[in-house]
Amino acid sequence: MENKVIVITSGKGGVGKTTTTANIGTAIAMMGRKVVLLDTDIGLRNLDVVMGLENRIVFDIVDVVNGNCKLKQALTKDKRYDGLYLLPAAQTKEKSAVSQHQMKNLINELRNEFEFILVDCPAGIEQGFKNAIAGADDAIVVATPEISSVRDADRIIGLLEASGFREPKLIINRLRSKMVKRGDMMDIEDILDILSIELIGVVPEDEYIVISTNRGEPAVTDNVSKAGAAYRRIARRIMGQDVPFLTGDDSSSLVNRFMKLVKLAK
Amino acid sequence: MGAVSALRKKGLFINLKTCDSFADIKVGLIREIENLEQITTGMNVIIDLGDKSITTKQVREIEDVLLDYGLYLKELKANPVSEKPTDEASGENNVFSDMTPYEKTTLICKNLRSGQKVFSQGNVVILGDINPGAEVIAKGNILVMGTLRGMAHAGVFGDEKAIIAAYRLNPTQIRIANHITRPPDGESIVVKSPELARIRAGKVIIEKLKI
Repeated sequence: MENKVIVITSGKGGVGKTTTTANIGTAIAMMGRKVVLLDTDIGLRNLDVVMGLENRIVFDIVDVVNGNCKLKQALTKDKRYDGLYLLPAAQTKEKSAVSQHQMKNLINELRNEFEFILVDCPAGIEQGFKNAIAGADDAIVVATPEISSVRDADRIIGLLEASGFREPKLIINRLRSKMVKRGDMMDIEDILDILSIELIGVVPEDEYIVISTNRGEPAVTDNVSKAGAAYRRIARRIMGQDVPFLTGDDSSSLVNRFMKLVKLAK
Repeated sequence: MGAVSALRKKGLFINLKTCDSFADIKVGLIREIENLEQITTGMNVIIDLGDKSITTKQVREIEDVLLDYGLYLKELKANPVSEKPTDEASGENNVFSDMTPYEKTTLICKNLRSGQKVFSQGNVVILGDINPGAEVIAKGNILVMGTLRGMAHAGVFGDEKAIIAAYRLNPTQIRIANHITRPPDGESIVVKSPELARIRAGKVIIEKLKI
């Protein structure tokens, strides 16, 4: 089976790696593909909470690598979409509970079953990061339009390139177009100037993300959420479709342009 | 003697037409600057010497005097038939002829990202950017064909003639020999041309790169 193993990373914490993993994974599963989300943040697991699957977990990744259970037993099935699975991290262990070698073997085993394997990477550049990237083919770097986040993303891209990732892709998360317009926030161009890697998506700041995280329902399942729509577009780009970039500007959205036309006609 | 100075839109205008010898000119210049009520660092200065001739070396001396006060010579009006043209071009040539030769040059064909570090026993040429958090350290000179946003240290073993040149110079810090400088706080200055950093009169100065 042809499959893609993508690690989602950022260096800095709190920029939206887990939210991104949950949403892209769900969006791909919505298109009828088989996806597994792999949470490698051992000791600080979150992905299960964001997915709303916390209470269904029986076994976790450490149980699998230690042979306490079979891989299939640890794969938690999503409650909404067929073909979407989560392999949760252990909460009571430490990052060192899994080695890079074990991670590679685990991912190779998952390759037999799934088309897309999304690896949610922990923050930082230590053992957890090294584990997460060990078995991946491609990398997506998430950065918010803040200097500190861009710095860390730059560091991560350097480490990824040193580990043989040819073309990491970039997601700019939590962009506020109004602030960019006022000149109070870095714009996309500034970020690309420094990071000089390919952009795969821009996700606007959206309050709905907080709601969806608290509910355990990824934003892509909501038809109104702007962030959800952005994640759906990113998922289509990952699947190789050519999806044009929106300018991210409210006034240029289709509805607004239509409204302007109507006003002009009057 | 009667030198006249005036603050104009282009900068500070100093008239030294009446000074006879070069020694006189220097004395007059220092007196004029001392007489100023306040000096804005980085102010441009225009000096009018009337029809007197002046050598390139003397121009540099004047520039060094101004640099001590944090001023920059923008224009020097002197006799056009002086033995050597006194414009900046001839001064610029000396920048490169002064440089210490190094046998080794390291060529780097990628962007240096945060956390990455390059060290060379000679010169370093980078075909790419140096991002914040990256470091380039060289015994000799450093040439960046992209944007320098990180830290560069030229002449690390004490070569004060070493230079750092970049297509866009926007560093976190620049070090030459044992001098350490950083861009001024506050408003960032955007310069859209290649620039050169070197030591002159005991200070690291940044100037336009003219080749």
